[in-house]
Amino acid sequence: MSDNREKSMQMHLRHFAKYNRPGMAAVIAVGLLLITVILNPLSLNINTFGSILAQTILLSFAAAGQTMVVISGGVDLSVGAVMSMAAIITTGIMQGRTGYFVPVLLCVAGMGALVGLVNGVCAVKVGLPPIVITLAVSNVVTRLQYVFTGGMPTGLVSEVFKVTVQYRVFGVIPAALMYAVFIWTLAFFLMHGSRFGKQLYLTGNNESAARLNGINTRRIRILTFVLGGVFSGIAGMLGAGYMGMSQCQLFDTYAYNSLVAVIVGGSLFVGGVGSYIGSIAGSLVMIVLSNGLTVLDFSAPVRNIVLGCVMVILLTFYNRAKPIRQ
Amino acid sequence: MLEACKRRWVSFRRQPAFTGFCLFLAAVALNIIIQTPSKFFTVSNFRILISKNTPLILTCMGQAVLMMCGLLDLSTGIQLAFVNVIAIMMPQEMGVPVALGWFIALLSGVVVSLFCGFCIVKLRLPSMLTTFSITYIIKGVNVLIMSVPQGKVERVIYRTYDSTLFGFFPFAALVILLVLLVWGYIKRTPFGKHIYAVGNNPRNAYAVGIDPERVQMKAFIIKGFIVGLAGLCLTASNASGNPLQAEEYGIRSLSACMLGGMNFGGWGTISCGLFGAGFLVIVQNAVYYLFNFLTSAIPGLMINPYWQNLVSDTIIFLGLLATIITAKAQRETLKQGFIKQFKRGEKYVR
Repeated sequence: MSDNREKSMQMHLRHFAKYNRPGMAAVIAVGLLLITVILNPLSLNINTFGSILAQTILLSFAAAGQTMVVISGGVDLSVGAVMSMAAIITTGIMQGRTGYFVPVLLCVAGMGALVGLVNGVCAVKVGLPPIVITLAVSNVVTRLQYVFTGGMPTGLVSEVFKVTVQYRVFGVIPAALMYAVFIWTLAFFLMHGSRFGKQLYLTGNNESAARLNGINTRRIRILTFVLGGVFSGIAGMLGAGYMGMSQCQLFDTYAYNSLVAVIVGGSLFVGGVGSYIGSIAGSLVMIVLSNGLTVLDFSAPVRNIVLGCVMVILLTFYNRAKPIRQ
Repeated sequence: MLEACKRRWVSFRRQPAFTGFCLFLAAVALNIIIQTPSKFFTVSNFRILISKNTPLILTCMGQAVLMMCGLLDLSTGIQLAFVNVIAIMMPQEMGVPVALGWFIALLSGVVVSLFCGFCIVKLRLPSMLTTFSITYIIKGVNVLIMSVPQGKVERVIYRTYDSTLFGFFPFAALVILLVLLVWGYIKRTPFGKHIYAVGNNPRNAYAVGIDPERVQMKAFIIKGFIVGLAGLCLTASNASGNPLQAEEYGIRSLSACMLGGMNFGGWGTISCGLFGAGFLVIVQNAVYYLFNFLTSAIPGLMINPYWQNLVSDTIIFLGLLATIITAKAQRETLKQGFIKQFKRGEKYVR
């Protein structure tokens, strides 16, 4: 009798590990955090939690657009460049003065939408693979940053804006959570609660079938890139608030990090599979991992090696392709 | 006579490298116009162009070999730095004679390529994300081996590398020629045909009796050898070691192969990588001379130096768009190949 129960427990655990990716990602994040705390008990303080939460929120904004693009079957490697450009626009327009929130928001969203449009049209209408085209576009956007600012961006974020992003209630809950409420609701609605979201999943799953069913797959795919650009732009603006200032290529690592967060969270490159909750959980894993590496005082090269190895291990568990002989 | 010429022209148009060849010619024409023929067609100009850019050209050729097989390796760039670091550190720290140290560095290029190959072929991980992660690993290992840029190379080595034979043939071009000759031989063996078969559709290749895993591992070994050569050329060119250089070569080689007309499997030759790399190099050269000309022709004109990079990157972006015009029929196969890249299996082939 207890044998049966053991077996069903095992089956449940295996089912959980294999099919509930967001839950599994959360478990991995908690596990990594525990390992960090055990190895360095001093790191268990309010500041750590606060900074982990704040950075996770920032990464999850960048991952919002990336999730949609990956579900539709593409990749968006221009997230980092758009975020950096948005940060520069934010500090450039604000210059430390208050009252410019809405113009900056519109500018940044517009810039993101434009870059996304270029990405989308080239990837869908011209037919180039999204990896190559988003990389080329991100190169051009990065060069534009240098040209506009001459390499040294000036200006600061307004004090009021900085406080809304950096302040922590009770020292741990970031005030940026109120931005998260808006953006997460928006992302959830787009992906899971709207007709666009349904069509998105169908397009990613099997584009021919979706097209034959009357879904305008080209428009959907271009829209995912545009929305990806908009979300990255907004993420860049909030990132500028988090850092207080901006630099050229400040957020370039977010391109790769958001992609890994989305993959860890359960989306597949083949498209049609994924959820935003998974991406949020994946962002948590990424941030806990890099935080743990910093706190454990590893030197920079060892940090790189551990980061790379952990990614390869995660990929081995979750993203192996089918063997040729079956 | 006319018929034969026409047939020749049509068959030339159908070559995969035709796209890259057109782009390369356009870039060279632009460069000649900007740099004035008198200064372009000099031996020293060719010598500098080729010897400074041989590592990039070799990397693109190695990447082309992999892409023929249906795979890609974004860590190709940092592998150059790995070979560089080993070639410098072995004689310096362990007292190994220089020739042996450089030979070990060449082998280490093959070893690190085999490691990537193991992860991608045996473990069947997705190539893009895996090689992106491996870049981080190799970066860390490089810095652990050599913490700061340092090292020196024997004078005879870097003088030979920068020299010309018979007064006009750059030594570095000899390396490129060597790789082309070796590949020309390999292409004519059965393995050369197998690569295309596996790149196009591994399932069907297996059904016919080709072992896709062995073919892909062999492709990784060949690429590792080419990368080892490129790393040694980089060492000779810079005459020192730098653990974090050439990282962007991985992504640039991918763009170069696409500019050259390659597909993500089953289509393309090594000349695609060659012409694509040539296009990248010549465009940068042309833009550099254009800005020099502008600043000297219009006195007092201060151009932000960042404009130069912006213009050359924009031209590369437009070049990518242009490959579609010169390769219209290949566009669909290109998309198919890319989908197969991620959706390893017949189920998702449209």
